[in-house]
Amino acid sequence: MLRALVQSTDKVAVVPQLRQFHASAACCKVQSGRYKITPKRDRPLTYEMANPPHFIAHRKSWNSWDTTTLLDGQRAAETAVEDVFIRRFVTGTWHDQFCSEIIIKRQHNLIRIAGIIKQGLAVRKMYFLIGYTEELLSNWLQCPVKLELQTVENKESTIFKYI
Amino acid sequence: MSAIVNLRVFRNFQQFVSIRPISNYPTSFSKNAEIQKVEEEEEFRSLDLSPNKSLNVRSFGRKLYKRAVVPPPRSHKMPVDQDWPSVWPVPRTFHPASVPLPLNQGWVNPGATPPGKFANAELMKIPNFLHLTPPAIERQCKALKKFCTEWPKELNTTEKIDHHFPIKIITSDYLHSSPSLRDARARIVTLQLKLSTLKLDSHAKDKLLRLVKERYNPETDMLTIVSERCPLRKQNLDYAMYLLNVLVSESRVRPNNFAKQQLHIVCVLCANRAEFIPKTEPWENEKCEADMEKYVWEGSQSQRTLEQLLKRMPDREKAQDLPEVIEQYSRNVTHFHNEGEDAEKVNAYKESVKKLLGLNA
Repeated sequence: MLRALVQSTDKVAVVPQLRQFHASAACCKVQSGRYKITPKRDRPLTYEMANPPHFIAHRKSWNSWDTTTLLDGQRAAETAVEDVFIRRFVTGTWHDQFCSEIIIKRQHNLIRIAGIIKQGLAVRKMYFLIGYTEELLSNWLQCPVKLELQTVENKESTIFKYI
Repeated sequence: MSAIVNLRVFRNFQQFVSIRPISNYPTSFSKNAEIQKVEEEEEFRSLDLSPNKSLNVRSFGRKLYKRAVVPPPRSHKMPVDQDWPSVWPVPRTFHPASVPLPLNQGWVNPGATPPGKFANAELMKIPNFLHLTPPAIERQCKALKKFCTEWPKELNTTEKIDHHFPIKIITSDYLHSSPSLRDARARIVTLQLKLSTLKLDSHAKDKLLRLVKERYNPETDMLTIVSERCPLRKQNLDYAMYLLNVLVSESRVRPNNFAKQQLHIVCVLCANRAEFIPKTEPWENEKCEADMEKYVWEGSQSQRTLEQLLKRMPDREKAQDLPEVIEQYSRNVTHFHNEGEDAEKVNAYKESVKKLLGLNA
């Protein structure tokens, strides 16, 4: 029915300001944060992956904790961008080490970065990386940063189920 | 004693937890046995005089990678009577190896056990209060006590506090999880005051109420001044106090006809200072009977009518108890106007009118 409303092409040529709109059915598929079941049922999922986004605040909690989304919260945009930056920096610095999502919790001006990493790293390297991450991030973000990590033997320790 | 019982229960419980297929953390029996074996073997290192070929080749150019030995969780070694506030002194993200509690978190199908505390990111996300155990709070309070001053003994009731400190200043501080301390709402200052503490006369109170309008709550007798026009809290506080000063001094000024009588005295007292002359608003003299908040007998229309009536009445007909009757009549009329109509008041009014006019029907 909507197609009948769209002007024919020769009229468009006459009136160049005319805009056309997409008249096919909308694709309402929601896909982000959801995983498909494999035929062999061997796709490993962590608890975080096993619960799709609509279970946030029901079965799992947020990965970023701050007051920006409260009523009259401040610096919502800046905080979101900083969180993205922290996640990228930490993922790159601790390459292939994190077995969980990077959790960023803010208390006043303190930023706590938590997560689960593998135990493979040498102790000296680990201490260096912790200091390096904290120092650089606190220099960039101009507030104290703390890295609070938990280690597991291997990545399989965090697997919650197979689908 | 109860703490000890709990911990023992936990240790038994954790062994069951570690057998579950979901929990893959290396706290199982085999892992612990392995660690013990490593520790035992470290007693003497033997010197190998006929080196094994494969080892020799591999270790020629580069160091052998040796995985660091991970000790078992230290919660296993914790004594039951340990000092918990020194184990967890400040807020921190949850760490399973430091917390000797049998925790599980996560949603699973009914009947199954939720994931345990190891490798559980959900436990790391939520805020914990492990640093705020009752003994820790007690210790912090004890440490802070020397910086506190004692509450004055004389101010032991709310009435006394209200009497000595009638002005209440309300401000709010806002804490955000952000690097900035600033919040524009922190500048707002609310000043509250019971109007009865100002000890105003009826004219001053009437004028003050007209000036403050809706800022006065007649039910609680509270005057509330909110100041938020200045950028800083200090400025707003000063402004609120200034407003209160001005309101009270303005309302204490008498209307014009009264002021004229006093003008002479004031001018003599302070010869050159014209600002001491009380100024009045033009609207103050325009107040008529319709503007009254309450019915007042003095100066009302019915008082005037009654006076005219009495003037025309010959003296000999005046009864002995006339002042009493007039007083009763005025009281009834005032009640009738101020407190609303009902059968009782209408009857009282009727009786007083009959008495006043000398009708004995």
